[in-house]
Amino acid sequence: LAGAVHKYAFINAKLRARLSKILPEDFVTEMARTHTLTEAVQLLRGTDFAVVESVYNQTGDIKMAEMELARKEARLYLELEGLVKGEVQAIVFALAERFEIDNLKNALRLWFDARIRGRRIDTAVGYLIRDRIHRDLDLDAIVNAASLEEAGSTLAGTPYAAPVAERAAQVVQDQSLFSIEIALDHLFYLQLLAAVGGLEARDRAIARRMIGAEIDLQNINWLVRFKGFYKLSQEQALAFAIPSGVNLSPAQVAEAYASDNPSAVLAGLVRKKYSGLSAMLTPQEHAESYSRLVMIERILEQILLAEVRHLLAGYPFTIGIILAYFVLKSAEIRRIMTILNAKFYNWPEERIMAAL
Amino acid sequence: MMFPQSMKQLIAVVLERDADGVTRELLDQGVLHFVSVTEVDHSLGERVSGVTLRVTEAMIAEIRRRIEGFFNLAGGGTGTEQRLRVEDLKPLNLEETNRSLDEMAGRLQTIRERQQLIQQEILKLEDIRRQLEMFGDLTAGMQARSQFSFLSIQTGSVRRTALPELLEALKGVPSVHMMLGEEENQATVLLITMKRDDALVNKLLDKHGWAEVVLSREMLGGKEEVLKDLDGKLATYHEEQERLKTNIEELLREKRPQLERMWANLKMNELYARIQSFFSRTARTMIFSGWLPAQKQGPLQQGILRVTAGRCYLEWHDPREIPSTEKKSVPVQLRGPKMLAPFQMLVKNFSIPEYGTVDPTPFVFVAYLVMFGLMFGDVGQGLVLALAGVFGLLTYRGKSENIRNIMKLVIWCGGAAVLAGVMFGAYFGMGLLPPLWFNYHAIIAGHRGSGFVKDVYSILLLTIWFGISVIGLGLALNWLNCVRKRDWFRLVFDKGGLIGGWIYGVGVYSAFYFAQRAYKQLPPGNFLFFLIGLPVLFLGLKAPLEFFRHKGHKRFQPFTLIDWAMEWVVEILEIFSGYLANTLSFMRVAGLGIGHVSLMMAFFAIAGMMHGPGGGFTIWSYLILLAGNLLVIALEGMAAGIQSLRLNYYEFFSKYFSGSGKAYEPISLRKRV
Repeated sequence: LAGAVHKYAFINAKLRARLSKILPEDFVTEMARTHTLTEAVQLLRGTDFAVVESVYNQTGDIKMAEMELARKEARLYLELEGLVKGEVQAIVFALAERFEIDNLKNALRLWFDARIRGRRIDTAVGYLIRDRIHRDLDLDAIVNAASLEEAGSTLAGTPYAAPVAERAAQVVQDQSLFSIEIALDHLFYLQLLAAVGGLEARDRAIARRMIGAEIDLQNINWLVRFKGFYKLSQEQALAFAIPSGVNLSPAQVAEAYASDNPSAVLAGLVRKKYSGLSAMLTPQEHAESYSRLVMIERILEQILLAEVRHLLAGYPFTIGIILAYFVLKSAEIRRIMTILNAKFYNWPEERIMAAL
Repeated sequence: MMFPQSMKQLIAVVLERDADGVTRELLDQGVLHFVSVTEVDHSLGERVSGVTLRVTEAMIAEIRRRIEGFFNLAGGGTGTEQRLRVEDLKPLNLEETNRSLDEMAGRLQTIRERQQLIQQEILKLEDIRRQLEMFGDLTAGMQARSQFSFLSIQTGSVRRTALPELLEALKGVPSVHMMLGEEENQATVLLITMKRDDALVNKLLDKHGWAEVVLSREMLGGKEEVLKDLDGKLATYHEEQERLKTNIEELLREKRPQLERMWANLKMNELYARIQSFFSRTARTMIFSGWLPAQKQGPLQQGILRVTAGRCYLEWHDPREIPSTEKKSVPVQLRGPKMLAPFQMLVKNFSIPEYGTVDPTPFVFVAYLVMFGLMFGDVGQGLVLALAGVFGLLTYRGKSENIRNIMKLVIWCGGAAVLAGVMFGAYFGMGLLPPLWFNYHAIIAGHRGSGFVKDVYSILLLTIWFGISVIGLGLALNWLNCVRKRDWFRLVFDKGGLIGGWIYGVGVYSAFYFAQRAYKQLPPGNFLFFLIGLPVLFLGLKAPLEFFRHKGHKRFQPFTLIDWAMEWVVEILEIFSGYLANTLSFMRVAGLGIGHVSLMMAFFAIAGMMHGPGGGFTIWSYLILLAGNLLVIALEGMAAGIQSLRLNYYEFFSKYFSGSGKAYEPISLRKRV
């Protein structure tokens, strides 16, 4: 017990203080109800997202503001890394890899846009985050590479070289980057689960449950895209699923993909453990199976949030607080940026609320 | 001052045609804390209906917040309610207001779009600049062209007449050019673009008759010139960004008077709608109810009679007419001199006292400062604290009254520390003048004092006596509250009631008796039986009496006896352990005080180690003392403040404070919402 308190007391206090600043639901609704992007951004003054407001006022560019926000968040994780030790540090390190992987994905997307789709990327290159997370990645070299093999070679010595180089041909053949993006997601979770393996028994169980719930969400997220945009066969789609989910077994993922009523795979779990979400299982007679997959995504998101709430209400000195922060903060950033981008494109309020 | 403001309740019936005038009068006087008439008389629920408002408070508030967003964007504060006058209240046209705001938002958005375009140009140039900085010079860049660089650096000539068109065409891609020479018809140009744009750029160059020219390193010049050129362009763009930002501020400044007027009218209409949301309607009348301070009854009554020309029915009630169980619904306005505002803030932070009970503010004022002084007694450090408070108060530009009160509290605490410092003879940890009471530093250093305080144990004893006094005062206030509320049962049987006080008093006597006899002898048995045993036995009556007072709730069963016995035992344990813990808790006052003195002594010892050849203090010694004082002021100041608050909240308030009151919040033009 004393060890757990010693290990987590400071980080727990720090992250709980930050969690208390998470914007409430009313605030999000108020933002969605604003008339213009400028007015929506203005509401962020004095909040944890103040950087968005100041950068937007200076540049009028919401993407610049989004970039600054991502940089700020990454810096927080690097700071956290310095505040913890041993196996907890390994977890924070593995979580911070998400930012590095996101930066790399963004560079690869730009390369893909320029080289494969023949689009202009002059402005978009400016939004790349080049800050060092854990490794020196030459993102400009990737964006400007003549081929993916060349891009892969600039990543030599990093864990990302192989996933990029090995799938280079496939990307060109499929005319899609998703094989690399999924490989990088696999890598992220693989590293994270390896770090989880080093934790003590109680922390390990908590971390596996939380990360497993996130993997479920990630898998369904990809399936939604496979079904909606890529029209992949069941076998192709399942080959990309990340193992170690907790609420959806590989068989259930397969069933969800093939079924006309995919939300049924979650029915038992929701009724048994998350009865508050039962209403979300109501059969939608006329909905397409794609929409139903989106519904599963929503349910899994709610399950993840329920796990987070459960963790925050429980014994405080565990790895849970770090993971809970990661989940809640990511969700908050996603919601705020969804609203701002929706305002940029003048979406009506109802559409914004539906997208949140 | 000792009790909250006396209140009166108004129940008013006015004709529907007078409702507007009455609402304006209520808004202007701003003294009524509204309550729903159906809460006052539940039977009215079926006979009256709510008022349907054309525009609701929420609709108005949304637009008001929109304007406040513009105020924030302009960097100024929001509209102030000081300027609101009910005569300026006009009917709202929300559509028109929204249209004006949309028009302004549209103008802002246009500027934002221009800002974004410029930002994108900046990003393109920064991309080139980033790449260019990687080269030693431009020749190296040209040589590296095929292998390492992402830049295309080329030199060539083009007809002078074709040049403007070429440069215009190149604006679509990130590029930098420099004129290297001009002849009659030809211009020699250095062109830097991104390699990924080669296909497009080469097409454009071919179209405009570009002919590649190889130049020597000398003719090409250094990259510094290109960077300078780039920086110049970037600076121009940044200036443009600043100018556009200023344009937004100017636009908002220009619109500010209009926005202020709109805001003021919205705010007043919002309050107007809020008042009318408390109105209930019959066929031809409006009914409303609320509470106000008793001394405001006259002016409000006259005001309503005036605007209705006497066509109204006003019914006034005194809270004394209300059953004690419903007294909690009476709003509470704490009164007292303004100088006690920081302590009122501490009380409100805990809770609002129930109407009719003691206002703890004056007692907190004394107890808090005495505790702080005992823990942080030093003239010099107290002065620093007080000055810090004054500085904070003078420089704070925000609107938060709480922050101002915290500054004032710091000044009070500084003052208490100065007074206590004079009593202890402590001046920045030094004994510059003899103490008026006892020398705290000398006693902690091991010197025996004279009078009541001789050693560290005397200091501990002193704080225990102080604690007993505070708890005793808390008990007395509780008895007073019970008498005022005519709650005789609680007066006798409450933990802080007469029996509890009796046990505490005898407990204190017995503890001192035991201590004075070297912890070897208790008071005589018959004394203990009559003075502790008897009240404990009386306490056994509490559960049965309570049961029969509320006998409608439960049926008597054999197990009820066990319940009573258990309640009795728990109550006894709670009284004995609770009072013991509460009293000993005050030893923290001594603990913090001793800690304060010990820290200063430690810093003096460290400063002494840095002595000079003659044994005197060096500059290092003084720096250590300075740092030590600052550390003690910051750390001990905070600790003493928190501990004083804690003792007030948990040891003092728990004895008498019934914090179930509701704050008096009238709907007023002059109150910040």
